[in-house]
Amino acid sequence: MVKQWFKSGSPWIWMTGGAVSISLISVLGLLAMIAWKGLSFFWPSQVVQFELDGSVTKQTVIGEVYDREMVPKSRLEAMGVDLSGFEKEQLERLLIKTGNREYVDLDFRWVLETDIKSKTTPADLAVFERSKNGNFYGYIETVIKDGQVITDNKKQVLEELVDRAVDLNDQAADLQDGDIGHINYALERLRLQEKSYLLDDALTDERVAELAQQRAALRADYLVLEKQLFALRNQAKRDKVTVKDMRGESVTIPLYQVLDFWLPNDMGFFAKLGHYFVQLGKFISDDPREANTEGGVFPAIFGTVFMVMLMAVIVTPFGVVAAIYLHEYAAKNAVTKMIRIAVINLAGVPSIVYGVFGLGFFVYVLGGSLDQLFYPEAAPSPVFGTPGVMWSALTLAILTLPVVIVSTEEGLSRIPSTVRHGSLALGATQAETLWRIIVPMASPAIMTGLILAVARAAGEVAPLMLVGVVKMAPTLPLDGNFPYFHLDRKFMHLGFHIYDVGFQSPNVEAARPLVYATAFLLVSVIITLNITAIGIRNHLREKYRSLEH
Amino acid sequence: MITVAPQVNQSGTSLKLDLENLGKEQTALEIKDLDLYYGDKQALSSVNMKIPKGQVTAFIGPSGCGKSTLLRCINRMNDLVDICRIEGEILLHGQNIYDKSVDVAALRRNVGMVFQRPNPFPKSIYENVVYGLRLQGIKEKRKLDEVVEQSLRGAALWDEVKDRLHDSAFGLSGGQQQRLVIARSIAIEPEVLLLDEPTSALDPISTLVIEELINDLKNKFTVVIVTHNMQQAARVSDQTAFMYMGELIEYSDTNTLFTTPNKKKTEDYITGRYG
Repeated sequence: MVKQWFKSGSPWIWMTGGAVSISLISVLGLLAMIAWKGLSFFWPSQVVQFELDGSVTKQTVIGEVYDREMVPKSRLEAMGVDLSGFEKEQLERLLIKTGNREYVDLDFRWVLETDIKSKTTPADLAVFERSKNGNFYGYIETVIKDGQVITDNKKQVLEELVDRAVDLNDQAADLQDGDIGHINYALERLRLQEKSYLLDDALTDERVAELAQQRAALRADYLVLEKQLFALRNQAKRDKVTVKDMRGESVTIPLYQVLDFWLPNDMGFFAKLGHYFVQLGKFISDDPREANTEGGVFPAIFGTVFMVMLMAVIVTPFGVVAAIYLHEYAAKNAVTKMIRIAVINLAGVPSIVYGVFGLGFFVYVLGGSLDQLFYPEAAPSPVFGTPGVMWSALTLAILTLPVVIVSTEEGLSRIPSTVRHGSLALGATQAETLWRIIVPMASPAIMTGLILAVARAAGEVAPLMLVGVVKMAPTLPLDGNFPYFHLDRKFMHLGFHIYDVGFQSPNVEAARPLVYATAFLLVSVIITLNITAIGIRNHLREKYRSLEH
Repeated sequence: MITVAPQVNQSGTSLKLDLENLGKEQTALEIKDLDLYYGDKQALSSVNMKIPKGQVTAFIGPSGCGKSTLLRCINRMNDLVDICRIEGEILLHGQNIYDKSVDVAALRRNVGMVFQRPNPFPKSIYENVVYGLRLQGIKEKRKLDEVVEQSLRGAALWDEVKDRLHDSAFGLSGGQQQRLVIARSIAIEPEVLLLDEPTSALDPISTLVIEELINDLKNKFTVVIVTHNMQQAARVSDQTAFMYMGELIEYSDTNTLFTTPNKKKTEDYITGRYG
C-alpha cells in the first residue's frame, strides 16, 4: 500500500505543493501583519478616562489604550507590588498613551488592572494633534477667539478656528519654502558668483556694483516677503483654546500649534472612517515632525522613488551595452567566461561593501575632483564631494548591474538565430541587426532585469547610509529652483526611515506603529514600482511574441 | 521513397544550356574549386559549377551532403560560423565574393536568402517588407508604399494581406509568412535569390503556392533552391545539381538529370536507393 502510494508520485506532489503553500503563507502573513499593525495606527481609537485607586496613588488617567500584556503575579510581587487578595496567576497590564508630554513625566504609562477603579469614555473628551509635543488629551473648556471667550457651540467654532490657523500656517510655510526659499537660493548663487569672480581675478568694480545691486533688489524683496510671513504667523497666533487635562488643570493651547482635533468617543463609524483616511493621507503627504516620530513620510517616499528611478536610468544602458558586448561581440573564449563568472559573482558581494566603495571612489575621488574642477567657488564646503542622491544612485547602479547584465544576456541568447540570419541576409550589418531586431526583441528580458534591479535597490539601506541618505533632509532633490534636479543633495529614504524611527528614536513607544506603517509603505512602493515594470514588460512581450510555433 | 521517375518541368525553357561553357552574359555565378572545412572536417570538396542567369537551379542530395552549406557560401552566411574555413572562389560579376575588399552587407543585398523556416521579424507586415529599404536609408513614404505593393504582389501575397498591412506578421499562417519573407527579400531587388528548403516546414497547399511563385520569380531573378524533395526539384528547376558527401556528382539540366543520369550515384539516388 505505502509502497504503491510512494510509487504513484503523490508524496512528491504533496511535498512540493506544501513547500509552495508555506512560502505563500509566510509572505502573505508578513504582509498582513505589517499592514494591520501599520494601518490600524491611524484609526481614531477611543480615549478612556481611568480612575485609579491603587497601591501607588489615587489619580485620574486619560488616554488611549495602546497595548496590553499579561504579567505573572510573582514577577509583580518581586517588584514590590502588594497583590495579596488577588487569586489570578496572571494579571493584565495596560499601556496607556496619555500624551500631554510637557505636563507629565512620560507620555506612556503602564497601568495594572487591579489599580483600575473605573473606566469611562466621556463623549466630550478631545484629542488635539499638535505640531509640537505630540497629542494632547482633555476636555475643551473655552475657546478664545481674538481675545473673546466663547462658551457656546464650542466644537463648531473651534473647528473653524483650527481650519483657519492651519490654513494660515500652510500659507506661511508655502511662502517660506517657495518665494523666500527662492530668494535665499538666488542670494547663495550671487555669493558663489562673486567668489568665482574673485578666484578668476575678474572681480571688477562694475561687477561688484552689479552684484550689490542684484543683492539689494533681492534683499528688498526678501523684506517684503518677510513682513508677509510675520503677518501670517501673527494672524495664526490670534486664537487659543483652554483644555482641562487629566490632572484637573486648565491648560491654554495656542491654536497655531494645533493641526487637528477630534472627539473620538463621539464619532460614529463613518466619521471615524473619514478621519482615518484623512490621517492616512497626511501620513503619505506630510513632512515628518519631531525627530521623525510624528507627521508624514512624504520626503522619504519621494527620495526612495527618485533615487530608484535615477538608478534605473543609469543601470539600464550600462547593463544592456555590457551584455550586448559579452554576448554578441566578445570572442567565446576563457577570458569571456571568466568575465561572465566575475559579473555573476559581483551580485554576491555584500551591499555595505558597495557602500564603502561608493564613499571612497564616487564621493571622495569623483566628487572631490568634480568640486575642484567645476565648483572651486563653493570651497571649502563641498558640492558633489559629499554624499548625495547621485552617488547613491550610482552606487546602487553598480550593485544591480550584474542582475541587468545576466538577464539581458539570457534574453539575447533566447532569440532564435533564424531572425538574426534573416536580418543579415537582407544586407544588415551586425550592429543594424542588433539595434533594429535583437535589442527590441530582448527588451522583455531587459525589463525583467530592471524589475529585479529595482526590487533589490529599493530595499537596500546599508550602502545608502554611507553615500547619501540622511535622517532629515530639509529640501527635496527636485524643486522649483534652476536647475530643478539637485543631484548633489542628500535625501531621505523609507528603508533608512524605518531604521531611524525604530532604533534611533527618543520615543520608542510612539515610534513603533510608525515603523510598521513605514515598512508597509516601503513594501507598497516597491510593489508599485515592480507592477509598473511588469506591466511594461508584458506589453513588450506581447509585441515581440517570438517565433515559438 | 520514389520509385517512378519524377515528372519533369514543362515550363518552357526547353533550350538546353551548355553548362560547362556558359557565356559571360548567361552566367550569374561561378563557383571555382570551392573547398569548405568545419574545423578539421571537410564539408565541400572542389566544387566547380556555373549557375545560369534568370533560371532556377536546384541542389539536391541526401541529408548532410553539403547542399545547404554550398548555398550559404553564395551569400557568405557561413561567415557566421566561427570554425568554418573556405578555400576557392565564387565569382559574381567576375569578382570573387570572398575577396577582402568585398562589403558583405552589400553582397547580401545583391544575393538574398530565404530560410527553411519562415522568420518574419516581430514587426508589422509592412515593416517586414520595407526592412531592407529602411536599412538603405530610404524614407519617402510613397516609394516605400510602392515597393510594398510590388513586392507583395511579386510574392503572391498582396491580395491576402492588403487590408492588414499594419498588423503583426505573426498573425499570418506559415505559408503566408514564408511568402512574406520572399517579399521581404525581393523588395531590395537582389540579382540572385537563394532558397534554402523553403517549403520543408509548410503544408502541401502552401508548398504548391510557393512552387508556382518560384516559377514567376525566375523572370526577374536568378533562383538557387536547395531541396530534399526530388519531385519539387523536378517541378520547379531548370538545372539540377546532385551532391553527395560534399562533392558535386552531377550537374545538368533537370530533364536530363532525372531521365538519363550519367552517374551511377545519381541514378541510385533518384530511383530512391538511398537518401
